Amino acid sequence: MKGTHLGEFEELVLLTVGILFDDAYGLAITDELEKRTGRNVTISSVHKSLVRLEEKGYLKSHMGGATELRGGRKKRLYLLTQTGVRVVNKAKQLRNSMWDAVPKIVWEGGKI
Amino acid sequence: MKSKNPPKWAIRFLSWFCRQDLSDAVSGDLLELHARRIEKLGKWKADWLFVWNVLLFLQPFALKQKVKNSNKLNFTTMLLHNLLLAYRNFKRYKSSFFINLIGLSTGLACVLLIFLWVSDALRVDRFHENKHQLYQVMEHVEQAGGIITRQTTAGPTGAALVDEMPEVLSSVTTTTKRIIDYTLSVGNNDIKAKGFYASADYFKLFSYEFIKGDKNQVLSDKKAIVISESLALRLFGTLENVIGKVVEWQHDKEYKVSGIFKNIPSYSSVQFDFVLSFKGFRDDNEWVTSWYNTAPQTYLLIKSGTDIDQFNDKIADLIRTKTDGRASHRSPFITRYSDAYLYNRYENGVQTGGRIEYVRLFSMIALFILFIACINFMNLSTARASRRIKEVGMKKVLGAPRRALVFQYLGESTFMAVLSLVFALIFVALFLPQFNIITDKQLTLDLNLDVVLFLLAIVLITGLVAGSYPALFLSGFNPNAVLRGKLTGIISRLWARKGLVVFQFTLSIILILSVWVVYKQIEFVQTKNLGYEKDNILLFGKEGLLRETEKLSTFLKETRNLRGIADASSIGHDMTGHNGGTYGVQWPGKNPDDKTEFENVSVNYGMIEMLGIKIKEGRTFSEDFGAETEKIIFNEAAIEFMGLTDPIGKVIKLWREDREIVGVVKDFHFDSFHEEVKPLFFRLRPEHTNYIMARIEEGMEQEAIDNLQQFYQIYNPGFPLNYWFLDEDYQALYAAEQRVSILSRYFAALAILISCLGLFGLAAFTAERRTREIGIRKILGSSEFGIVYLLSGDFTKMVLIAIFVALPLSYFITQRWLESFAFHIDLEWWFFVATALLALLIAWLTVGVQTVKAAKTNPVQCLKDE
Repeated sequence: MKGTHLGEFEELVLLTVGILFDDAYGLAITDELEKRTGRNVTISSVHKSLVRLEEKGYLKSHMGGATELRGGRKKRLYLLTQTGVRVVNKAKQLRNSMWDAVPKIVWEGGKI
Repeated sequence: MKSKNPPKWAIRFLSWFCRQDLSDAVSGDLLELHARRIEKLGKWKADWLFVWNVLLFLQPFALKQKVKNSNKLNFTTMLLHNLLLAYRNFKRYKSSFFINLIGLSTGLACVLLIFLWVSDALRVDRFHENKHQLYQVMEHVEQAGGIITRQTTAGPTGAALVDEMPEVLSSVTTTTKRIIDYTLSVGNNDIKAKGFYASADYFKLFSYEFIKGDKNQVLSDKKAIVISESLALRLFGTLENVIGKVVEWQHDKEYKVSGIFKNIPSYSSVQFDFVLSFKGFRDDNEWVTSWYNTAPQTYLLIKSGTDIDQFNDKIADLIRTKTDGRASHRSPFITRYSDAYLYNRYENGVQTGGRIEYVRLFSMIALFILFIACINFMNLSTARASRRIKEVGMKKVLGAPRRALVFQYLGESTFMAVLSLVFALIFVALFLPQFNIITDKQLTLDLNLDVVLFLLAIVLITGLVAGSYPALFLSGFNPNAVLRGKLTGIISRLWARKGLVVFQFTLSIILILSVWVVYKQIEFVQTKNLGYEKDNILLFGKEGLLRETEKLSTFLKETRNLRGIADASSIGHDMTGHNGGTYGVQWPGKNPDDKTEFENVSVNYGMIEMLGIKIKEGRTFSEDFGAETEKIIFNEAAIEFMGLTDPIGKVIKLWREDREIVGVVKDFHFDSFHEEVKPLFFRLRPEHTNYIMARIEEGMEQEAIDNLQQFYQIYNPGFPLNYWFLDEDYQALYAAEQRVSILSRYFAALAILISCLGLFGLAAFTAERRTREIGIRKILGSSEFGIVYLLSGDFTKMVLIAIFVALPLSYFITQRWLESFAFHIDLEWWFFVATALLALLIAWLTVGVQTVKAAKTNPVQCLKDE
């Protein structure tokens, strides 16, 4: 079904939003992603994903938490929606079931 | 410490393009990031990264979205509304509508005709598949009067270049410069057809389509003849089983048909009916194999990617090397064949244009005319602005953005342009046959992709240009001022309208003057005393039995006795151009390096007298003096060039043999008026003459021709008499100028007409707007003349300014054109005065109708409304 497919980066963003729970905004998500993946993450790509995920209904957002450091501008804080949680779960289950389907011998490095 | 903030403009830029709901969050994030970076990386680097990050947000997801509501519906409604308004406006102001329609459609028709002509000219010789690699060898020839450039080359040039230059893939040698009528016969069927000689690879290099025969093989045999489709039909009546059949040439030689090609397309600069093998020509004309003689044309297929300038440097010394430095005055070079037609003029060894100038000239004229028509549209619609100003004000009050108004007016003008295009297409369809006669072309109006694209482009451009000024002008009004009736803004912008009228008239005056000068020059060329009498002289080629000198002289004697024929003789020169020259004249004191060529003219007895060439000193050739072969006659130019005083009786050398000068003739023009009269000599050589000329008694043309034809058939059986007149040939020398003259006359008339239409419309409008003023003036005692003076004063001023701008410009332009003629008229002061008066007169007449009408109105009529 169109729209429910989750890209790898999108999945990571969703999980990060979950991790940060009540302080998930653009820059914080970027930091968290960089820390966890060790990759270079540009802030624009994070925002792009956030906008898309919100459009898809996996995230919801509200404004809040202006600081002086931000020139008095509010953060857009993201939260997982019910559908968002279900989609991450589904992705996890899909992986698990595929993990289980791989024959043991592969993990043990055996030769055929 | 400096400010910790990133560049302000970047933030502003971000909030400009970024959608509202994201803008704060994003800029906040970026600012936070920036603050962090300043500590780590320093201010400068952090700023750069900030800007970079902002730019990264230039992605669709972050951009402001357009409001997507029922835009489509609104658009069509507005379009219909605008169309309705346009229709109502046209209906209401019929006169300006018709002025615009006539102006724009004739303008577009001109552009279209010129487009057809130009694209036809640009197509000539560009259909060959090898066109990017096909080159022609030409020669710069140093003469005492400067370098002349010729298409004639030495016979061995092609083969030598293929051997010595790796860049040259193959070559052909042809006699394309001398395509003449020959008699071809099959059985008793004698036919005149145009042909020339070409070496084996001719049809490999030049892409003419074949119906029968292998184009790589057709010319390989010495006895082969390749004929056109139409010639095959004329000779055999069929295209089937023609290959291998025998065709008799000049009742002398037999050739076998080896191929049939499709008729040569009209956009080939070379037109012919058949081709013979150059090998055969070489066997009969030993001289072609010499490096010293130039006559044939050489074409080369050059490797693609060759640097032509470098190649030309390499071959410049070819002739000098081959002749051990003796023919030191000739330097060959190559030029692309597909460009040779358009760029055909060389002056002193430098390419200086040619036909391309006419292409440019007419393109310019087309643009001018269209622009003049566009100016009419601009002027009339801005003049009418006061009428529509309330509409604009109302729309603005109701919230119409300026853009919508601009679109409305542009749409209106584009609509007008489309409408005009329809009429223009009708005009073109009607006038194309006439246009084809004038230009001597076969143009057709096919609506192929090129033409359609061009039409679309031109309509859009016309619509935009014509509508631009009113659109920007009308939409800029302040609605408040407009609705309260304060129109001061319009008056201050009158200068723009006046400027456009001045511009229009400037162009028209330049056109009038140029047309006049071209006309005068052509008239001068055609009526100028050439130094010989070209009228009533009929000529035809010498062939068949007449090639025997004895028979020729009997024939001439008999012909002189025919009723209607005054005189007859034969000559080796056609009197209209360079036929053949030599630098083999030697005289005491000649500079050994001088290679200036003397025109070499072989004549028969009585020829010089028949042409009416005046003898300055001495005598002409005559049978009374016995052997005349060692005598020679020069023209004045030659005597002057050699610096001989008292020439009669002096002996000079021609090709190392003694020749006694027996006469000097006055200079006469044997070449185009573009050229100075060059040195020339006459020799008595009946056997070397090529043309027979006969002077016909005036008023007896038909009888003389009938008699000649009958006599010719008896005397020279099997050869159809194919005659033409010397003055026709002479006219043909100036065909290009003649055509330009006629065409530019039409176009100038149109330009004037369109300008006057515009002026007429403006005058009508002014008169209308000042009706009440005129009424009051009349009541207060102003005379009718005073009113006319008042109304036409403005227009007179504009035309005067145009005259002052146009005259120096047109002087410059016409002077340059005249300089291309060695013999030309002088620009007289009264040309300019007369043109200026003419322009004024036309303007007054145009405006006059309106102003007199306005001046005559009864003041009661125009004031009673108030």
